Amino acid sequence: MKRWLAVYAAAFFAFLHLPLLTLAAFSFNSSRFTVWERFSLDWYRAAFRDPQIMGGVWNSVIIALWATAISTVIGTGCAYGLWKRGSRLLTGGLYLSLVTPEIVTGISLLALFQWMFRWLHWQLGLYTVVLAHVAFSIPFVVIVVSARLRTIGPTLEEAAMDLGANEWQAFRRVTLPSLMPGIIAAALLALTVSFDDYVITSMVAGVDSETLPMVIYAMARRGASPAINAISAMVTVGFGALILISERMRER
Amino acid sequence: MNRRIFLMGLSALAGCSRDTRPRLNVYNWSSYIAPETVPRFEAEFGVQVRYATYESNEEMLAKALTGNSGWDVVFPTHNRLAPMRENGLLARLNHQWLTGLDNLDPRFRAPAWDPELAWGVPYMWNATGIVYHRSVQPPPGRWADLWNPALKGRLTMLDDPEDVLGACLKKLGRSFSATDANELRAAEREAIAQKPLVRAYLNAEVRDQLVSGDVLAAQLWSTTAQQAIDAEPRLAFAYPAEGFPLYCDCAVILRESRRARLAHEFLNYLLRPDVSARIVQATKTATANRAAWSLLPEAVRTNPVLYPPADVYARGEWPQTLPPGTQRLRDRIWTEIKSA
Amino acid sequence: MKLRRWFLLPAWLWMALLFLAPFAIVLAYSLLTRGTYGGVGGPWTLENYQRLLDPLYLTILLRSFAMAAAATAICLALAFPAALFIARSNRHRNLYLQLVMLPFWTSFLVRTYAWMFLLRDTGLINTALQWTGIIHGPLPLLYNNGAVLLGLVYGYLPFMVLPIYATLERMDPALAEAAADLGARPMVTVLRIIAPLAMPGILAGSVLVFIPCLGAYLTPDLLGGGRSAMVGNLVQNQFTTARDWPFGSAVSIALMALVTALLWALLRKQKEPIA
Repeated sequence: MKRWLAVYAAAFFAFLHLPLLTLAAFSFNSSRFTVWERFSLDWYRAAFRDPQIMGGVWNSVIIALWATAISTVIGTGCAYGLWKRGSRLLTGGLYLSLVTPEIVTGISLLALFQWMFRWLHWQLGLYTVVLAHVAFSIPFVVIVVSARLRTIGPTLEEAAMDLGANEWQAFRRVTLPSLMPGIIAAALLALTVSFDDYVITSMVAGVDSETLPMVIYAMARRGASPAINAISAMVTVGFGALILISERMRER
Repeated sequence: MNRRIFLMGLSALAGCSRDTRPRLNVYNWSSYIAPETVPRFEAEFGVQVRYATYESNEEMLAKALTGNSGWDVVFPTHNRLAPMRENGLLARLNHQWLTGLDNLDPRFRAPAWDPELAWGVPYMWNATGIVYHRSVQPPPGRWADLWNPALKGRLTMLDDPEDVLGACLKKLGRSFSATDANELRAAEREAIAQKPLVRAYLNAEVRDQLVSGDVLAAQLWSTTAQQAIDAEPRLAFAYPAEGFPLYCDCAVILRESRRARLAHEFLNYLLRPDVSARIVQATKTATANRAAWSLLPEAVRTNPVLYPPADVYARGEWPQTLPPGTQRLRDRIWTEIKSA
Repeated sequence: MKLRRWFLLPAWLWMALLFLAPFAIVLAYSLLTRGTYGGVGGPWTLENYQRLLDPLYLTILLRSFAMAAAATAICLALAFPAALFIARSNRHRNLYLQLVMLPFWTSFLVRTYAWMFLLRDTGLINTALQWTGIIHGPLPLLYNNGAVLLGLVYGYLPFMVLPIYATLERMDPALAEAAADLGARPMVTVLRIIAPLAMPGILAGSVLVFIPCLGAYLTPDLLGGGRSAMVGNLVQNQFTTARDWPFGSAVSIALMALVTALLWALLRKQKEPIA
């Protein structure tokens, strides 16, 4: 039994990882076909030279940084507030927003923006994408920060207030520092979900907001340029690194 | 201290995307422009152009319909001009700023869909036909050949209700713009009968799959087909015997645009013979521009894929804007085909 | 306590502006009529909801249900032994958990594309099979329901492993030992003792997999080649190709209602949050 389980687990992990590993391996293949020729970095060079890919990376970075900064602040505040005293309505909203199908989030935000534009002279673009990303990454931040708050417990803050600190001082000097690893982990998570999103982004994107996932999607539909393998490998490694850092932070 | 650096970094990042040059935002079909077209325009007029691409009219319309998409110039197909105008999305063209209109081919000076060229400048035209690998025997020459079981799994159709239903209608000897419910239902049955053979419904994305040999036959636009043929000479293109649709993509200015003057400059720039000829060379389109056509090398001008000979051209049909009721029925039929 | 209000204010704003307001607009649209060329206008009507009962759309809904259910069942079958393995391993438990999580946190789009790369006619699997001479022509692996199912399973497998692992980990190992001492064979122990005790995790995992599969858009789009419509694609299609926003909104609302009901049922069963 035990041995069979181990054999199965090996197959299971292979199933999880082999697709990405082969993709990464073939990004170093000189041939544009799926037959191994020889090692080459040509597709990486091609990816870096492609203005559309690089434009997508640039837009994605700007959008992800903004969305992360905003959603981390709001989400941390929310987690802290809920930790003090819960709110079923807000918690329910957070859960619901987490499970809303992406396509529904996308079209409802598009409907919202279209409706708002009747009064505001805004346009679809960077701002709308950042807003949309903030909208869907807040629940992730709240969950990670809340978990951290639960492990810290209220005793330290209570002690600080007994010693004469006011609410803000207790938060700023006592809770926030011990919360930092959780916040950083949450921010990294928000960064990855923002950097990865395609469905919602494509619905609300306009000028200046063609993100990397949109470029990858277009290339995947076309389906043959191995430059996308190179991009995918880099994205995977980048994400992996961010998540490992985030995990370390959470364990601290 | 760290925080301050982070915030400064953020604002610096945001600042980088600022450029003081006037901007123009252009949204066009993928692979529909020469690599140097935009940079030269930017250099000559001292402006900055944001250029992005779409794969279908619907993708573009979904954005344009918000009325604040941010785009100035888009390129709808001729039969989308009427609905866009009805929805108040288009800006009327100022002919004083479009000195290059005289370069247009006489066919496109007063087209049926826009007789005064008040809303759109004909840009490029093309047709839908069949692109196939020469190993396919016998070579397809009619839409009906796309119902050949030998093509199972190696055939794609366009991801476009108009073209798929159109091919079925033509196979049945009907008009592309059929409005009769019975005719449309008959076309639907044809499409559903064909579906088991169809590998996927794809637009221009199929090009690379044709080149790599994954797909052996495809319903495709002549422009995209010629791009594929250039990359893989064993591909060929056929104008179906039953008849085929002709499309003209038109450059229009969205009413939301706050840069109407610059947008006109861009349209006028695209009308220049040398610019248009370069686009044809780079992307294998058929230009609506007579003056540009005369600049093309003989081999391109006589390319039967891009510029079908008169007898073939005569089989073509320009699809019309459909009445709303028909459009609804067609939308429903399309959903039925997709979920069959 | 004043501070709490200030801390929660942005979150309330978020919920009102970016969650409830869009939802309200979609709800309103779902009760309106489609304009001539795709706009939204009066009069108010329930027609869009009636259309949901049309056999055409019911079929799509049922197919999405069936696909999501199949994906959930396969995920469960694959994930349970893996979770058991991780829960029973002592030394490398954290490593294994990270191995489960890692692909989950890399780009979903890239993971889907990886399967396109493997399944294409000129993809790795077909090339390898042809090279070894097992088959002569390429097998049609991509652009069918099987490919979509595979993509869904691959995409959401970690959602199933983690909750099951969490319940198994908390389980007293003495229970299984007792069953073994009393003469139960290992398979029997797993099925009769361990699985029932892991039920909360199985349930949570099933809902966590089922919900995103039900509303999946990207997987059927890329791996299905636009041939088989799922409800997510129906929504997208109504908002783009068909430009019938009211009906698309009605489908969205129905989908949301389903998802909410599922989530509510789960949260009622489970006192503790799973996340």
